[in-house]
Amino acid sequence: MRERPSTGKSPKQPSLKEHDGDVSPFSISKLMNPDADWDREQLGDVLHWIRQALGLLLGIIWGAIPVTGAFWLILFFALTSGVIYGYYHVILKVDEEELGGHGGLLQEGLFASFTLFLLAWILVYSLLHF
Amino acid sequence: MAARYGDSLLILGISFASAWVCEGISWLLIYRTSTYKSLRSTIDRTSKKLESMKSNTPTIAATKKSKAKKMDRLEIGLKESSRDLSFSKFKSGGVVAVVLVIVFGLLSSLFEGKAVAKLPFVPLNLVQTLSHRGVPGDDPTDCSMVFLYTLCSLSIRSNLQKFLGFSPPRGAAAAGMFPVPLDTKGK
Repeated sequence: MRERPSTGKSPKQPSLKEHDGDVSPFSISKLMNPDADWDREQLGDVLHWIRQALGLLLGIIWGAIPVTGAFWLILFFALTSGVIYGYYHVILKVDEEELGGHGGLLQEGLFASFTLFLLAWILVYSLLHF
Repeated sequence: MAARYGDSLLILGISFASAWVCEGISWLLIYRTSTYKSLRSTIDRTSKKLESMKSNTPTIAATKKSKAKKMDRLEIGLKESSRDLSFSKFKSGGVVAVVLVIVFGLLSSLFEGKAVAKLPFVPLNLVQTLSHRGVPGDDPTDCSMVFLYTLCSLSIRSNLQKFLGFSPPRGAAAAGMFPVPLDTKGK
């Protein structure tokens, strides 16, 4: 995904918060760039897919070790919420109020990732250890 | 690896296939129609406009009042189009429900009274009514087909819709379901 030069059509001096709304949200340069300009849909999609990947990963790891017990469910919620919060607050430094507040951002893809996590954990646990 | 629970992979595969079938039907009946596309773009546009209007608040009282009025109109427009959006989904809802019932019937005939997986935790009693349904014995970590199938369809379908771009836009979901009484007095 070549980063389109922002000076493109409009000759205006590219401001610090260069508006790159049309750059796909999954280009690495945007994912790691605290100055990138996010809108709610794009940030929501990115957080959703990060959460799904985390859910699947933790499910497979928990199942492979294996670990059992409800404690690991709670750890899953804590870990994924911590990573999501760390990402949008520390790395992206977005203004949460504008983008749906902490509640909105932390709930992005939460239920889907929880079911995906459970499914991965149960399947890997059942298939590897029985 | 004795793969005593190899059936669980079969359930995973069937759920995956049925998710694709359901999304295919929904695409055929709804998502490719022009009405859906135009509705979708108006919703995206209005919620973006609302978002930008919310972030920069004018100072002069007069513009504040006219702006509040404009936002009202946008909010109402957003509500209407998101309601139409959910109505348009009813059409495929029936067909999708039939597919899910057929798949469920097939799975329950195959796996009735059999534990298809092992749960790595002891679920709450409430969950056990689902996770232990039709499974002999009283070991709470035995998992029934119903529970596994529910998990499969929940996780696969929602992610598939997101992946294909069929999931409802965020702006609409908030406005459509919980009509927040707009504070029009504007303190």
